[in-house]
Amino acid sequence: MLEDVFVLLSNTLFSMVPLVLAGVGEVITERSGVVNIGLEGIFILSAFLTTVVTFYTENPYLGLIIGILVGALSGLLHGIISVYLKGDQIIAGVGFNSLAYGISILSLVALWHSHGSSPSVEKMPVIIIGHLTIPPMAIVAILVGVITWWWLYKTPSGLKLRACGEDPRAAEAMGVNVHRTRLYATMVGGALTGLGGAYLVVGWIGQFTKFISAGRGFIALANVAFSNWNPLMAVVGGIIFGFFDALSIYVPIKIQKTTGRIITAESNLFRIIPYIGTLLVVTIIMKKVKAPRALGKPYIKE
Amino acid sequence: MLKVNEKTLEVISSLIFAFLIGAIVLTLLGYNPAKVYIILFKYGYGNLEYLLNKSTPLILTGLAFSIPALAGVFNIGGESQLYVGALTALLVAYYTRNPILALILGGIAGGALGLFIGALRVYRGINEVITAIMINWTMFYILAYLISAKYHDPKNPHESVPVPSEARIGGIFIIAVLIAILYYYLLNFTELGYKLRVSGLSPKSARYAGFNPSKLILSSMLLGGLAAGLGGALLVLGITYAIDDTLSTVYGVGFTGIGIGLLGRNNPIGIIFSGIFMSGLIIGGQWVELKTGAPPELADTLVGVIVITLAVPQLYREIFKRIRREKHA
Repeated sequence: MLEDVFVLLSNTLFSMVPLVLAGVGEVITERSGVVNIGLEGIFILSAFLTTVVTFYTENPYLGLIIGILVGALSGLLHGIISVYLKGDQIIAGVGFNSLAYGISILSLVALWHSHGSSPSVEKMPVIIIGHLTIPPMAIVAILVGVITWWWLYKTPSGLKLRACGEDPRAAEAMGVNVHRTRLYATMVGGALTGLGGAYLVVGWIGQFTKFISAGRGFIALANVAFSNWNPLMAVVGGIIFGFFDALSIYVPIKIQKTTGRIITAESNLFRIIPYIGTLLVVTIIMKKVKAPRALGKPYIKE
Repeated sequence: MLKVNEKTLEVISSLIFAFLIGAIVLTLLGYNPAKVYIILFKYGYGNLEYLLNKSTPLILTGLAFSIPALAGVFNIGGESQLYVGALTALLVAYYTRNPILALILGGIAGGALGLFIGALRVYRGINEVITAIMINWTMFYILAYLISAKYHDPKNPHESVPVPSEARIGGIFIIAVLIAILYYYLLNFTELGYKLRVSGLSPKSARYAGFNPSKLILSSMLLGGLAAGLGGALLVLGITYAIDDTLSTVYGVGFTGIGIGLLGRNNPIGIIFSGIFMSGLIIGGQWVELKTGAPPELADTLVGVIVITLAVPQLYREIFKRIRREKHA
């Protein structure tokens, strides 16, 4: 029984990392006034390139750096479209998700002639304390959340960033360059999401698979709304949603172990847990939240 | 008149841009883009009947995205609305052998799901994009479970029970066109359509005019879901007659609908043509796979680039402005 608790706790720690990193990143992006629903695409693309780099260099840390760079560049692209070209942010995000998925799978086939998954790659070490396995990235993710909270609420540059999302015209009057701030915020958000995508490979799964992100980008988006655009709450949300994710993996294995019955068809039913759970939590909590007022609207100088 | 031309120009320039980027990607991956594109177009648009049949569910998921989009709601749940439409139609056809009933109930099932997403937005303030994605995945796994555990064909274990031969229907493309025309009429010649378009263009004016925005969100999501549900129903009743247990027969049709709606500039008549265009792209993509070994995700890549380039009309507007200025100068 106690062992089960430890297993679930460990699994939750593993699952929460991408949700916290992308969630906190998107809080930064959205606080500046830009919505990036392309998180799913960033996860896939950075996970893929991390795999490629780690496979050829056998160095997961280099893979991690590439993941961050891929995320930052994706954020830059989305920032240019949203901020300077005044594009429709939701549509651009939808398009990016499709593009990132397509390119990753095309490249997967081109490189490894496999349509489903890459070969295994080197992983980063984990911390083991008794029955508990802790990915070091879980600690990093929590720290990122805390530092981001401090930055947004306790520093002048954090205030300026939030002003861009609440009232860009007033921010401009304060002497803030709204366009540039939004572009940087979107890049930082992308970089953190890219780190999350890289972690999926070198911190957790150990290879790239076709459905590696499995809607986690959208769960991270739900986490942003759940957190009420507060990085500390995004850490809490990441733990809650990570727990659902862990549960969906754990329950069928546990049932198989205890009953000795192989469940294949039913395992599909357990996989709905994170999505239904996310929807339920958001439905119950959402009513009270308030998005940044200028969210999703291009800022047009007069 | 000029406005229409510019919209068409926007679409054409985004397509050219997308194919150029596609060519770069293909080259980088070691394929010959000219060869790939020739196969893509030759085989993609070679068999008219197959092309139109395949475009039918796509046109309907295109409508499922566009009708709510006109009212300012992003229905990216066309995917799951198509799933429930397909499943409902399959089961109704299997048990009652009545294609009309199957079609109607399939449409209603999709509409109900669309309405549910709209209701969560209206009554709980939850962003419809998040809801839709969560429901897409939930429905994917529920459908996968039902097909593999409850309704699999004992004679064909990797497929669902089949639509009985007397419940199968033909001429599905005509039905899709009629629905698109109906939606066109609804949007342009009825009060509801007028209100939908106004509230999408300017929520403020809609509020001043006293329109009820909640009601408009709900009706647009109902109409959108209905279209996707009908798309799913027509897919199983008229093309596949069953759903396979990996769901490859239904997967992605709803997502592609987003690109189709955008490419058709949210105009139901435009969507008929963009649906046919995209259908050819997908069929052609399968032929490319067969002939060159390039994976079918090539189509996803192209659709992605097309959608991104369609998101930035400002870019083309600027370009056209420059061109016009130069002409006058």
